[in-house]
Amino acid sequence: MAGEPINEDEALARLRDSDDPSMQYYGAWWLGRNRSQHPEAVPLLIEALQQRRPRDPGAGVEENAVARNAARALGKLAPAALAAVPELLAALADADDGLREAAARALGDLRAPEAVAPICMRLAGGPAVAGARQSASPRLMEPCEALLEALGDIGAATPEVLGVIEPFMAHDWPLIRSAAARALLQLSGEPRWAQPLLELLNDSQLQVRRAALMDLGAAGWRPAAAAISATLAENSLKLIALRGLIENGRGEPADEALLQTMDDLL
Amino acid sequence: MNSAPATSAATDGLIADLERASSTIELLQATAALARTADPAAAAALVQVLGFNNPGAAVAAVDGLIAIGPAAVDQLLQLDPRNYGARAWAVRALAGIGDVRGLDLLVEALLTDVGPSVRRAAAKGLGCLRLQALPADERPAIEQRCLEALVEAVSDGEWVVRYAVAVGLEGLAKGSAWPIEHSSRGCTCAALGRLSDAAHEDTPVVRLRAALALQRLPSF
Repeated sequence: MAGEPINEDEALARLRDSDDPSMQYYGAWWLGRNRSQHPEAVPLLIEALQQRRPRDPGAGVEENAVARNAARALGKLAPAALAAVPELLAALADADDGLREAAARALGDLRAPEAVAPICMRLAGGPAVAGARQSASPRLMEPCEALLEALGDIGAATPEVLGVIEPFMAHDWPLIRSAAARALLQLSGEPRWAQPLLELLNDSQLQVRRAALMDLGAAGWRPAAAAISATLAENSLKLIALRGLIENGRGEPADEALLQTMDDLL
Repeated sequence: MNSAPATSAATDGLIADLERASSTIELLQATAALARTADPAAAAALVQVLGFNNPGAAVAAVDGLIAIGPAAVDQLLQLDPRNYGARAWAVRALAGIGDVRGLDLLVEALLTDVGPSVRRAAAKGLGCLRLQALPADERPAIEQRCLEALVEAVSDGEWVVRYAVAVGLEGLAKGSAWPIEHSSRGCTCAALGRLSDAAHEDTPVVRLRAALALQRLPSF
């Protein structure tokens, strides 16, 4: 198959070679991409996750790049990677917001209930604090999109968690509103949270339409099938969203109708 | 190259609009207008649009070429193989048209193209070639080539391609000359069985689609 010239042993060897971050970066990616079951994969990725230094925009950030890729890979290696939850929780408090983002996504992928309280703490300031723009960058103070999505994926539907997420429905950025609506829909199952996502499918920006597609798919909101199919975006993304409706959702339209909608987009 | 068919004045005007288009939005609108004519005389201009690196216009051009049908196939097959972007769109158009002249390109695309969306379109296309008009003695060999390519692609690394392979196998069996060869039926069942088996296939939606195809198989 295209683009996979190395094998598992080679990927593990590259990850062990801490003298060459670019090799480690690729090794970590490979192990996650291929869902490695090798007993050494998770311990090596935990080591790579710890191998980092404070972010220095003027110099190389190679070591943090390795740590971020290690976090992403760990998210794909459940259940073995549940052993990495303490290290991922530590990464969630790192000064590098890119690493916090990768750690949040991995904790969401691993459905780690231990992450709910620390994630809520990071979001507690709401759109005006956690969701405020950093002064010298186009990024937000917290990686809100990843944090919100992780809460939805982990699935702890308590009033406290819903109360932390809901204020982000008023964020200026459609991508953040999309992530918040997705999490609220996943956690509460209430149709009122699907409505904003359906509206974002018609947003003027392609990037926003793509995010709303992915979010409806993640939430498995089956009544959105026809709207997904009609969205102005690549069929590849609509197919991923429809796959999400089938795998994550229940009810109407039923499986066979959804499969037909997918067939028509091939 | 064949002599160009006489073009209607209306189509000529739309081709001229397309040539004058100077912005992305003008290009998209002019392509969509030309595509709606479904006039074989528009094929060459629409094939050109496939190479403009403008996805919106390319989608409209593919729709137009599919509407033109077999009369667009020669133009599509004449594309320079080195023009990768245009070839990828041409595969989608050929898959939609279903003309048997596209067979070689579809097989090659399914087995070697680097783009999953191209392999996906090729897999679906190999399941819906329009073979009914061919002499009965030519059909089995063509169906066999489609089947072999689809079976090989069962181990594709992308779930969406394997999904399209399940759809392609179902389509091929449905459209196949009756009675379907015993050995072909065995191959189809084995490939769909593998795609519906959790021991081999880790994507639930692919297993679901393959199981549906298997369930539809006995009634052919």
